[in-house]
Amino acid sequence: MNIARIRKKVSAVSGGRVNAELKDNCIVLTGEADSWEQALEACSAAAIPYGKIHVVNDITVKKLVEKPMRMPSVCDKAIDGEKPDVLIIGGGISGASIARELTKNKLNILLVEKEPDLAMQASGRNDGEVHPGIDLSKGSLKHYYIRKGNRMYGDVCKDLGVEFRRVGQYVCFNEAWARPLIALYVLKRKYIDKIEDSEIISGKELHKREPNFNGSFKFAISNPSTGCVCPYGLTIAYAENAVMNGAKVMLNTAVTGMQVENGRIISVRTNRGTVYPKTVINAAGVFSEEIAKMAGDRFFSIHPRRGTNSILDKKAGKYMHSVASIKELAASSGHTKGGGILHTVHDNLLIGPDAVETSEKENVATNPESIEKVFSRQKNTMPSLSERDIITYFTGVRAPTFEEDFIIEKGRKCGNIIHCAGIQSPGLTTAPAVALDIEKMALEMLGGAQKNPDFNPVRKPVPTLRNMSDEERAQMIKKNPDYGEIVCRCEEISKGEILDALNSPICVPTVDGIKKRVRPGMGRCQGGFCSPLVTKIIAGFLNEPIDKVRKSYDGSVITYGSTKKGRGADE
Amino acid sequence: MNNYDVIVIGGGPAGLAAAIQAKKDGASVLLIERENRLGGILKQCIHDGFGLVRFEEKLSGPEYAERFIDEFNSLSIEALALTFVTKIKKNGDIFEIHVVNREGTAVFNCRAIVLATGCRERTAKQVFIHGTRPSGVFTAGTAQHFTNLLGELPAKKCVILGSGDIGLIMARRLTLEGCKVLGVYEAKPSPSGLTRNIHQCLNDYDIPLFLSHTVTRVFGDERLEAVEISRVDEKMRPIEGTQQTVECDALILSVGLIPENELAEELGVSMDSGTKGPVCDEKLMTSVEGVFSCGNALHVNDLVDYVSESGETAGAAAAAYKNTERTTVKLERGQGIMSLVPQMLDLNGATSSVTVYFRSADVLNNCALIIKIDGEEKFRKKYAFLRPPEMERLVIDFSAFNLSPDSKIVFETEVTSV
Repeated sequence: MNIARIRKKVSAVSGGRVNAELKDNCIVLTGEADSWEQALEACSAAAIPYGKIHVVNDITVKKLVEKPMRMPSVCDKAIDGEKPDVLIIGGGISGASIARELTKNKLNILLVEKEPDLAMQASGRNDGEVHPGIDLSKGSLKHYYIRKGNRMYGDVCKDLGVEFRRVGQYVCFNEAWARPLIALYVLKRKYIDKIEDSEIISGKELHKREPNFNGSFKFAISNPSTGCVCPYGLTIAYAENAVMNGAKVMLNTAVTGMQVENGRIISVRTNRGTVYPKTVINAAGVFSEEIAKMAGDRFFSIHPRRGTNSILDKKAGKYMHSVASIKELAASSGHTKGGGILHTVHDNLLIGPDAVETSEKENVATNPESIEKVFSRQKNTMPSLSERDIITYFTGVRAPTFEEDFIIEKGRKCGNIIHCAGIQSPGLTTAPAVALDIEKMALEMLGGAQKNPDFNPVRKPVPTLRNMSDEERAQMIKKNPDYGEIVCRCEEISKGEILDALNSPICVPTVDGIKKRVRPGMGRCQGGFCSPLVTKIIAGFLNEPIDKVRKSYDGSVITYGSTKKGRGADE
Repeated sequence: MNNYDVIVIGGGPAGLAAAIQAKKDGASVLLIERENRLGGILKQCIHDGFGLVRFEEKLSGPEYAERFIDEFNSLSIEALALTFVTKIKKNGDIFEIHVVNREGTAVFNCRAIVLATGCRERTAKQVFIHGTRPSGVFTAGTAQHFTNLLGELPAKKCVILGSGDIGLIMARRLTLEGCKVLGVYEAKPSPSGLTRNIHQCLNDYDIPLFLSHTVTRVFGDERLEAVEISRVDEKMRPIEGTQQTVECDALILSVGLIPENELAEELGVSMDSGTKGPVCDEKLMTSVEGVFSCGNALHVNDLVDYVSESGETAGAAAAAYKNTERTTVKLERGQGIMSLVPQMLDLNGATSSVTVYFRSADVLNNCALIIKIDGEEKFRKKYAFLRPPEMERLVIDFSAFNLSPDSKIVFETEVTSV
């Protein structure tokens, strides 16, 4: 690494406004940039891909006011004074999977999540692809974990009662001339990078498998190990299994500060009291840099990157049954494959995501341009795609470092923190494997732990009645007639399934919480018919009036109380 | 014991009328309803104005439904409420209808099905509204459910997008409940709802109507805080630079209805792009023999009276259904016709008095509906005006036209000289 060269590069892209220096084995960038884009460009220019020396962004940007992290409205002492062996910060796929793996040991585990539910940010706004790793070269952590993670999916999902399908992926090419080159690329991937399922298939074979794809494709890279999973479903399942095995999950709980002495975290402040953990795991997504900073261990920076996905009606699900993208050799791509088409585990199609850099970590508002861009591109893969089949769309914010690799390591200056940071695609795929390694690191830090003799890896999911035969279904209804009362007609969800979700290990009694767990409102009417019914069921479960039920956050009231309130005695 | 001549799916006004008519015509009938009570969407339509054509009086939705439910009960027609059809299989000439309810699962057999499954509302994302995902964004029907069935106020200060009838009705309804309705915004240059509703629901309450405007964005992380409104051009695309932000706590959407035909599509029924419902003949039989369609599943109606009428047509035909071969000829939409029902005639059936429903594509004054057969004008009816929101009904004697399966029958509008 040559800091002088980096300094020159950084200076060039910033008009001399940004300086780079090597400090504590980090490339620290300082100065005042004219714009946020300029700061971003400087940081990217300084980054050494896949290195251990990370860019730390201390550039200030003119006129850029960073919004403070959104805080939960609750303020109490619910966890004050607790002394967990392990405190996990973040309830996304990383935090939830780590919590579950740690419960194999006799440990006191506390997971805190600032949002009102698990998987509310990147993990819940993910496309659900279990990647093969065809775009990853040896040397990165992403590559190291992807093969392990991908292989683990079948067993993990079976244990956790989560649907998982290996549907295969096709990266499609229009240029016949490129085939020998791509064939070489695939050989490298297969034999050097050990992405062993990679192969080239002909255009003819591709059309046999996916007849609705563009007829102009000449060949494709096929990776049959590619799968699809429900990303928030898996996160919730991991967390539920952790809770079943003794972990504690605290939602609406945000970390606000830490007391650090002699390179060790003594206590962690939250809006629900101060806790005194032996070790801390930083799985805080876009806020992992802030957590590292609190621990006095900030050696990387996160630059948020938005991605928007659309979900299409199940009718469109019949058009294709795999994961596909188009590789246009003329146009250079950005950081992802530029999105793709994915047949989801719920039989919708998912289109996206795009990749747009942003300065706002929590801005998940959607924009029409994202949809238009992704659709115009993906129609090249499958001409029958139509915006008219869209039933919803959503945006998530990824949490990459400037090196575009994961940070999975013990603290450099803080002795009792482990970072699971910089997690972006393929973080969902790698999570099961990463969690095992973090478990190992935590045990090392704690000086070992006894095995948890009661650990049960199996989570029984809420039954999905729509997938059962009439006979099975009748038996279930005999036991519980609520399974026979359909509340959500689009997704065919019964009252019994909704009540099961309310009675699950991590109860989130909101319309969105129920929607994520058992899918009422996920269908083509988007809750038009069922949302009043679901609201009423939740109110009944809580034994509260309807106006006390929330969509998601505390302020997301649905109704303002009875229309008959305060109208005098005639009512 | 699980065998019927006719099974009606859906217990709203169309299904009730179909079941009553089929029963009166001597068929054994079962009606299947997914909600716990009969009446369909009428249950929540507590405003008046129903039944003007049929009963010549103004009834509320529940009152209108009650008349049919009373007759339905007096005929001792079998009904299963809170029962959901999971799939329909065709086994030779027999349909097997699989249902689920609190008793378990069951299969019922019939030789004719009437699909009276109604329609659903278009959602915010289907009209490409962007921004955050706060609470407080409701379709008008959902807001109506909260207000009228659950007695809960869904809004205190709201914007209504779309001037469809339910949106207009909800503007008045929410105003009466103490909500401030800031305005009704309509992307089209003319209102989508009935003229009488513009007067009775907006003008009478001083609620402004903004034409050629739409909501492009919503704001608020928890509850809705504001919406962005833009003017639109003649192609209904937002005009950059015309955005204004309106603070409100609810956005009520009345942006169109979509006939519910998932069961029909599973049966392989051909669909019409104009009505978004099945292609039917004059007896309202779809392209699949023995499958009939009526009400808002067939095409979106603006008057319930016509919903009941189509239910009766389908119910009578289902009761009389015999698997005899059809000789069909198409009825085509020509210039100026947005939707047309039926879309075909069975020349083997009675075509002397066929009820036709149509909507014009544009607002027209001093105009006429014309039927051309093989290029030659055979029928003309003058109208002082035609408006897309107001469905027109007329009865036509097709037997006079000497039709063959090869005849090209085209419906058109024409503006006559002033």
